[in-house]
Amino acid sequence: MAGPYKKVKIAAGRGGWGGPLTIEPTDARPLIYCVTGGGIHPVAQRIADLTGGQVFDGFKSSAPFEKIAVAVIDCGGTARVGVYPMKKVKTVDVHATSPAGPLAQFITAELFVSGVKPDDVSQA
Amino acid sequence: MTAPARYRTEVLAVGSMIPEFREAGLLVFFAEQAPRELHDIVVLHRPSVADSAPEPGDVFELDGERFTITAVGSVVAENLLRLGHVSVKADGAVTAALPGDLNVSVGRLPLPVPGSTMRIVAADHPGDRAGQTEEPS
Repeated sequence: MAGPYKKVKIAAGRGGWGGPLTIEPTDARPLIYCVTGGGIHPVAQRIADLTGGQVFDGFKSSAPFEKIAVAVIDCGGTARVGVYPMKKVKTVDVHATSPAGPLAQFITAELFVSGVKPDDVSQA
Repeated sequence: MTAPARYRTEVLAVGSMIPEFREAGLLVFFAEQAPRELHDIVVLHRPSVADSAPEPGDVFELDGERFTITAVGSVVAENLLRLGHVSVKADGAVTAALPGDLNVSVGRLPLPVPGSTMRIVAADHPGDRAGQTEEPS
């Protein structure tokens, strides 16, 4: 077990939308789930470093939604941007997108923040 | 004259929500390594050619039906070549509303099935392309 865990606050970056989100992993929800391809994104790594959560590459294997403390995506606006909020998983998009597309109804400021860079993640 | 494909891929599986998306003029593609939780909302595929990114004026072809590409969002090149991921919208928009959008001419997108072929073919003017990307409409 990685704990004890710490809280972080994640604010929208320039041109971004939503948030701020407060993320605190738990033993039941330890994963900083990175769905960006090409390895762990620096934003996911920063969240893991500050919270003590466990980085997990969603392209290498899969994990149940209930284990995910936060999903980090690099979505251009339609697919990944909606799937995790639809499952009530807090979601961080490194691109500055706003709710759109067929899944937009699920994307709320309580669950979603975008345009996030590593500096937008701070200890809470 | 047939230009070589910039991108060519074979459809492996079609997510359960795709017929609904298609009614809205949208198809979301993702290569087969897409995480499981995305499978319902994407067309999974296995590219055999992933050489270069689309540009406005190119042709998007699905099972032989051709659509002219009207706009290319800012993250399409990276998403498509790295993840096989793109959201195709048949709305004829000349500016991509979202960075992941590939807009094509207005029409009814075919419903892909396993075995379908999707291609992106460069416009038939390879000589002109070097200095010009998008013609203002």
